[in-house]
Amino acid sequence: MSKTAKRLTRILSMVPWVIAHQGASVGDVCERFGYTERELLEDLNLVFVCGLPGYGPGDLMVAYVENDEVIVDMAEYFSRPFRLTPAEALGLLASGSALISTSQAPEVLEQAVGKLASALGIDPDEAIVVDLAGEPPLVRVLRQGVTESRVVELTYTSLGKGETRHRLVEPWSVFSTLGNWYLSGFCRTAGGERVFRVDRIQHAQLTDQSFAPPLEPPPPEVRYTPSEDDVRATIELGERARWVAEYYPVEVLSDSGSEMVIEFSAGDASVAARLLLRLGADARLVAGVETEAALQDLRTRILARYQSQ
Amino acid sequence: MKRVIERLLNLLAFLLTTGRPVSAEEIRMTVAGYDHDNDEAFRRMFERDKDLLRNMGIPLEMRPTDAWEVEFGYVVPRDEYELPDPGLTDEERAALWLSAQVVRLGGQPSGPEALLKLGGGAMSGAGEPLAADLGQSATSLAVVFQAVTDRKVLAFDYRGRARRVYPYGLLHRRGHWYLVAAEGGEVRAYRIDRGSKYSAEGSAGAFERPAGFRLRDALPSLPWQAGEEDLEAVVRFDPEVAWWARRQLAEPAIEQPDGGLEARIHVANPAAFVGWLLAFEDRAEIIGPDLLRSQLLDLVRGGSDE
Repeated sequence: MSKTAKRLTRILSMVPWVIAHQGASVGDVCERFGYTERELLEDLNLVFVCGLPGYGPGDLMVAYVENDEVIVDMAEYFSRPFRLTPAEALGLLASGSALISTSQAPEVLEQAVGKLASALGIDPDEAIVVDLAGEPPLVRVLRQGVTESRVVELTYTSLGKGETRHRLVEPWSVFSTLGNWYLSGFCRTAGGERVFRVDRIQHAQLTDQSFAPPLEPPPPEVRYTPSEDDVRATIELGERARWVAEYYPVEVLSDSGSEMVIEFSAGDASVAARLLLRLGADARLVAGVETEAALQDLRTRILARYQSQ
Repeated sequence: MKRVIERLLNLLAFLLTTGRPVSAEEIRMTVAGYDHDNDEAFRRMFERDKDLLRNMGIPLEMRPTDAWEVEFGYVVPRDEYELPDPGLTDEERAALWLSAQVVRLGGQPSGPEALLKLGGGAMSGAGEPLAADLGQSATSLAVVFQAVTDRKVLAFDYRGRARRVYPYGLLHRRGHWYLVAAEGGEVRAYRIDRGSKYSAEGSAGAFERPAGFRLRDALPSLPWQAGEEDLEAVVRFDPEVAWWARRQLAEPAIEQPDGGLEARIHVANPAAFVGWLLAFEDRAEIIGPDLLRSQLLDLVRGGSDE
């Protein structure tokens, strides 16, 4: 949005509010619409010289400050703000109903979404529903770790070897994207920043160790952050498997428009192996010795299980 | 910028109050701030102003100035311009602002403009350490959303075919946005990001949703429940993965003496089901039907000769 559009939007929002709240203080109007006092005066002076054709004293709007009170008059045609754009209405309703679906929302948000929807003539049950991935039970304890800056101990069971492993993690944020919940933080066990899928964590426990959270935690998103000890694989994706590049944090090495070559990195070769197995003919392992071995091992184990009967 | 804003305020005030469509020439001669001498300068300035207002979402419309529809003029219909008052309290506005910061659309938190229109308020606070992103296709979404709320016919391309549908609703589930719509009498779900060239057609109120329609029920909640097939899979989960299976299953499963699980799972989409089950590696087994067993085994054997 251009600077002009932003300024005009603010004027067309402030004027109706002041009309409905005559005599509001300069401080109140400034705080409510994010003005400095000087900016507010500039905008009022601008409104003061505008109005209807004729542009005489009876045609122009009245806008000034007197005894710290903001006065706007003769502007009946601007007595309501202008409608929300579809993107704005969607943004507010979607984020509101998303939060409500996690049962994390305060009651006041439900009221707000209800009022907004009915003012826009929308029945939320009919027109828009947002189900965030049902919040896994572990999210609560992980979030507590984030708020209280306490180290959490995560327990995993690796399927291949059947062994149970533990990690100590300094939790930075818990977030949901693309239908899954994630925990991001500093993994003390691996000695680096990591992002974990919450539904793969078997147990999570708060420890009594605290940590100093980073001053500026990185944005909560699943990024491609390979580390030294990660297993990497180069994978060619066919057209039907292109979603992988959106769904997993990968580096795109080349993209012909139909085929795409990615570098896939994970702490364990079995992650790429399971993915390759599932994609079947839609993907091909180009390079990655460890992944190749893990894939063969996976095939052998599954076939053995199905043939043992 | 000051003079541009003055001119735009004058133009809007005029178009909101004339109550009839006015020609560009009348605007030029009547509204303060337009050039009277140079045709080309006026034309460029007026085009820029129209674009700016329309991009802001202000309904600047063209309508015939007479019954013969020979000449057209501009008007801003007041009932379409004005935002109906939802009657929000300051606390409710603050809650909306906070939720729009925490749950984002297309990676970006919403700007303050929408909240300003709703009456402003304290727009601060970073919110809880919870964040969610509802995906990328914000532009297509806004078009679809508008068609849904206006109940207009929606046209788009999907899987190589042009569609014209009655858009019933917009639904976000498992990380994707879906349009639930009726096409030729049949209600189905379309993934928004798999379609393109979305545009609304015709006039508002083109359809009614069927009585008792509930958007939430229009799309199954697990990926393998959305499809054409009607199968019941019997699956054995080993004790080590029972916790993980139980977390994800819709149906209750029977606990086995060894701590494992046996589940009967309704499968409408075999490919999605087999893909999901492979995440359990060799710790789960499809007992039946054979159709699903062999579909899984085909995938496992698939590339082994490469």
